[in-house]
Amino acid sequence: MRFDIDSYKEVFDTLTRNRSRSLLTGFGVFWGLFMLLFMLGGGQGVKAKLASNFDGFATNTAMVIANETTQPYKGMQEGRRWSLTTRDVDRLRLMVPELDVVTPSIAVWGGSATYGELTANCSVKGVRAEYARVEEPRMKYGRFINSVDEQMGRKVCVIGKRVYKDLFPGGGDPCGRFIQVGPSYYQIVGVDVSSGSISINGSAEETVSIPLPLAQQLYQRGENVDIICMTGKKGVTMSELESRIRQIVAREHSIAPDDKSAVFVLNTEELFNLVNNIFHGVDILIWLIGLGTLLAGAIGVSNIMMVTVKERTIEIGIRRAIGATPRDVLTQIMAESVLLTMVSGLASIVFAVGVLSVVEMASGDGTPFQISFGLAVGAALLLTVLGLAAGMAPAMRAMKIKPVDAMRDE
Amino acid sequence: MLLELKDVNKTYDNGQPLHVLKGIDLSIDKGEFVSIMGASGSGKSTLLNILGILDDYDTGEYWLDGKLIKGLSERQAADYRNRMIGFIFQSFNLISFKTAVENVELPLFYQGVSRSKRHAMAMEYLDRLGLADWASHYPNEMSGGQKQRVAIARALITHPQIILADEPTGALDSKTSVEVMELLGRLNREEGVTIIVVTHESGVANCTDKIVHIKDGIIGEIEMNDLHNASAFGTTTIMK
Repeated sequence: MRFDIDSYKEVFDTLTRNRSRSLLTGFGVFWGLFMLLFMLGGGQGVKAKLASNFDGFATNTAMVIANETTQPYKGMQEGRRWSLTTRDVDRLRLMVPELDVVTPSIAVWGGSATYGELTANCSVKGVRAEYARVEEPRMKYGRFINSVDEQMGRKVCVIGKRVYKDLFPGGGDPCGRFIQVGPSYYQIVGVDVSSGSISINGSAEETVSIPLPLAQQLYQRGENVDIICMTGKKGVTMSELESRIRQIVAREHSIAPDDKSAVFVLNTEELFNLVNNIFHGVDILIWLIGLGTLLAGAIGVSNIMMVTVKERTIEIGIRRAIGATPRDVLTQIMAESVLLTMVSGLASIVFAVGVLSVVEMASGDGTPFQISFGLAVGAALLLTVLGLAAGMAPAMRAMKIKPVDAMRDE
Repeated sequence: MLLELKDVNKTYDNGQPLHVLKGIDLSIDKGEFVSIMGASGSGKSTLLNILGILDDYDTGEYWLDGKLIKGLSERQAADYRNRMIGFIFQSFNLISFKTAVENVELPLFYQGVSRSKRHAMAMEYLDRLGLADWASHYPNEMSGGQKQRVAIARALITHPQIILADEPTGALDSKTSVEVMELLGRLNREEGVTIIVVTHESGVANCTDKIVHIKDGIIGEIEMNDLHNASAFGTTTIMK
């Protein structure tokens, strides 16, 4: 193979000779790769957006919630109301050693928080210090509720992002300030800015968290709690523990052991698996469609090169007659195919990156839509392979052209 | 002898065998200006293809400059064609999207000659054929005679042992035909280039020094024509 400027000029000349055809052919590859890259980037962005809903949420979590019974049991009618208590928490902790954290919480909806003249809608959540290990807070200022707060019955609170913004529009560290929520005043000890929307008992953004015993006292809940959250120890899957948890709670509250809706156990692991499966399905679909379109483009290149070779029989014959070896011809056709594929493909990568960054800017919340550098390099490599593969058949045909053909086709 | 054929046979087998060349014996010496003349179907094109190493033959021997040309690989054949033979075709066979000078350069490109050197050589040859001003023109901007002169420059540039011309005047008017034949004659006389012209026109054949008549695949009469008066069509022009 001869590498000098004319080798490139030669290839460039033949491609630009029939400009519209080269453009249209290249567009097939361009669009194919664009589809693949754009969908990969888009898919990743959508995934990230969905995943941000799980932000700060332990994946191996289960929750127990009390509902009305649906079966009569031990002489009691169905439709009976019952409530979880703090004793259930101790019982679960003792009887299911595989559990790591067992922590209850209560919620009071539809309250409002007041600071000076400003008011914010909020819900009050009574939590223990351990709760931070279930729904991990992202503390911008201060700290979360701790166990000393619980024991001393301190009137302290942690406020969510929205509450913070509404009450302190000027920003700054609000720790130490007092806000009024419902009947009582609390001193702020922390600001939690996590924004996950899969939150227990309402969005973390609009929550004012206070120590659980205090909440139980102030809102006259006695020992009752609304929800018990649990996480499993490492290597334990919550779905395995689900029935044992239900049995323990059901026996204590005289509920039929198979009354699944009375003792409602929500298992986030299942939820995560479901979402993950959907993601995998979407991924497979993206690759299938993207690669399919790209392949169709490459086949288009191959097809057009086939036609070109047929058209250029005389020209190739002349070249052969004046001394081009079959290898020279092969190299030239392959180079044309690779160049056409590469140029349209690289343009496609640039275009896809451009479009994705516009999308990323438009989404405005830092969701990553952009494809990685590695993926772009991989795409470029894939293009080279595709170009070579597309050039193969036409190049073989061109090699079969004999110099005599130049004289026959007159 | 520069070129020697011994009992060369060629049979085409398209459905039914067609014996085209039936034992050709021919010798051509260095510096000769020969025409091979015959009607269509006489086997002259096949002979030309074999002489030009464009096609292989079945039996016999073909010696070119002391080398036996038989059963060559595509690569070797391409190399021999490139270095030993210059082609001139009836329809010029210039590459339409290349300028005159690029067309002339092409054989040197396949020899791997450096860019600047082959450009200089191509310009030199175009100049010798009076086409220096047309170097950057494309074939479709030139007249038939100019195109054929570009093709001749392309054939000469590799300093081949022989120039093979296949009906070199076939697509030209009579005036230009005379010019082209005179040019070939001059190249033969002044530079000692061996030229073989294949034609069916007696007027063209008359311009050469030796006329080899071929008929039905056999060489007939070999006519010495140093006085250029063999043609029935006169000595002043080429009949079209």
